[in-house]
Amino acid sequence: MKRRIFGVILLVCAAAAFAADPLPSAESVLDRYVQVTGGKQAYEKRKSEIAHGTVEFAAIGIKGSMTRYAAEPDKYYTSMEIEGLGKVEMGVNGAVAWENSALLGPRVKTGLERAEAIREGSMNSTLNWRKLYPKVENAGIESIDGEDCYKVIMTPAEGQPMIGYYQKKSGLQVKITTISTTQMGDIPVELIASDYKNFGGILEPAKVIQKAGPQEFTMTLDSVEVNPAIPPAQFALPAEVRKLVDKAGGN
Amino acid sequence: MPARRSVLLIVAALSVFGQTASRLDLDSFEKVWTTVRDKHWQTKPGGLDWQAIHDEYRPRVEKAATHDEARAVMQEMISRLKQSHFAIIPGALYAVLDDEGEGPGVAGIDARVLDGQAVVTGIDPGSPAEKLGVRPGWEIQRAGGKDLKAIIDQARSNPAIHELQLTRAVLARLSGPIGGTMDVTFVDGSGKTVNLKLSLAAPRGTLSAFGNLPAQHVWFESQRMGSTSYLRFNLFLDLPHVMAGFQQAVENCKPCDGLIIDLRGNPGGIGGMAMGMAGFLVDKPNQRLGTMYLRDSTLNFVVNPRADVLTAPVAVLVDGNSASTSEIFAGGLKDLGRASVFGTKTAAAALPSAFERLPNGDGFQYALANYISQGGQPLEGLGVSPDVVVELTRPALLDGHDSVVDAALGWIRRQKP
Repeated sequence: MKRRIFGVILLVCAAAAFAADPLPSAESVLDRYVQVTGGKQAYEKRKSEIAHGTVEFAAIGIKGSMTRYAAEPDKYYTSMEIEGLGKVEMGVNGAVAWENSALLGPRVKTGLERAEAIREGSMNSTLNWRKLYPKVENAGIESIDGEDCYKVIMTPAEGQPMIGYYQKKSGLQVKITTISTTQMGDIPVELIASDYKNFGGILEPAKVIQKAGPQEFTMTLDSVEVNPAIPPAQFALPAEVRKLVDKAGGN
Repeated sequence: MPARRSVLLIVAALSVFGQTASRLDLDSFEKVWTTVRDKHWQTKPGGLDWQAIHDEYRPRVEKAATHDEARAVMQEMISRLKQSHFAIIPGALYAVLDDEGEGPGVAGIDARVLDGQAVVTGIDPGSPAEKLGVRPGWEIQRAGGKDLKAIIDQARSNPAIHELQLTRAVLARLSGPIGGTMDVTFVDGSGKTVNLKLSLAAPRGTLSAFGNLPAQHVWFESQRMGSTSYLRFNLFLDLPHVMAGFQQAVENCKPCDGLIIDLRGNPGGIGGMAMGMAGFLVDKPNQRLGTMYLRDSTLNFVVNPRADVLTAPVAVLVDGNSASTSEIFAGGLKDLGRASVFGTKTAAAALPSAFERLPNGDGFQYALANYISQGGQPLEGLGVSPDVVVELTRPALLDGHDSVVDAALGWIRRQKP
């Protein structure tokens, strides 16, 4: 009797497997994303960029501007001017990840938060996903806004896994969820990407809604300068951050 | 036939009125219940089966014969949470507290309720009140034709009304249109009645907007009191100016015998500013002022020590009007052993709590999160208890003394090696 039941179950499974499309590997989903957003060559041509955009915390009525500088291989600096809060800066300069704001003051990121910042600060992280996420897995299909999406779990060497949702039809990434390690604690984060536009040969989402814990804000990308000359001083640690690094005996 | 039609109409009207009264209470009940269900920081509010609570209390509201009875049932329901800052406030009392005055103009008087009387506790420099010789310690009996004592007595009759709300209700009566005047009756130090027509001017400080909050006047002041530095600001807003002023005051205190941070009357503002300011005072890394628990996340109120922090003793002054961010700051520094707190217990309103009007006209207060100070104690409902309890008194104010500042100065002097 038992054998018979097993036999039936196996038949059902087999039928289901033959009926559905085979699930593509996570690697192929991520490579396709590189392809549909511009291709390997387009990414490889990009050595530096300056992006301009806006941020808006609609629920509390606060807006701001944002400028992001990035250069190969691991230089990153973002400055935001937010109404009522003043300047918020964050950056990665090689091994040092830092943040400075009128609200909370300067600080140097450590541990998993540092690792996360360095990953995010990596130039062309879309192309270089293999270096950043040693383990990737396609966990199946999930519908987002009526579109089937592959759910790819990307696990970094250090830190929490990130789940990317890639549309089956277009190959574009439309959503990311993760637990972000911040100094205020581990916070569930959801990013909704939309309005893909061509910025200098690479498709990027011009609109990203980020829900982080109790807070939601929208980032809008207005323009991207491709391969501008960015002086190294742009990525230098601010004096207050430098003092903290020196105090901690860093380099 | 016409007579019968009239009877039917009257019955219909009675029926409508009867239904309207109970419907408003039922709608209010549903609003209270769903608000707790959807916004409480615990998915199982107070550890209770909240649906079962609904099923238990809704029939009782349906049976309530009067509005007061329905309110009592709702109050009993939220009391089951055993958590502070959940209250139903009668509509009539809400109206008394809600009086925002007739405009933003003020005479430059700060006041507190001391022993059931509205008493002048501070005069803004250069204000109309200062020009007409109003002095700290004077009792304010009437303002704009309103008897303040009666308002205070009415508000104090309800235990749900906190000192913060009481002070606001008094100060609201001292406001009006900018450029207008207000007749105010005082009792001076000798017991003499003083009637003054005070001009109303723009409030002290710079008008500062922050998102959807209405723009508010924010001011910051600092001074040296001998070898001690003193600073005070009215709100944790206007971040660029207040943070810069705070940083400058701290820098000016190097060296000094100690720093006094006066948060009396400060109802809070941007919570993050408490963390930023603490970074100038706390040297040890990985410290936090406390932790806020929301439904879907837990936020640590961390301190980022500056490269060069102040090491001198710090005294923080608080009173029942120090709320929210003021409590997070004072409570956190106290728990970290970095400051000694002087004054009276704070407002016990550290949480983001909201007031909403219910369909039946009552007010509903509810908390959205739980905040635990670093010492392990919830500030909500308990507040920050000063290390040294010092109360303002009318006689001391009339003598030109701020007994709380005096106590802090004395403590700082005693800290000198």
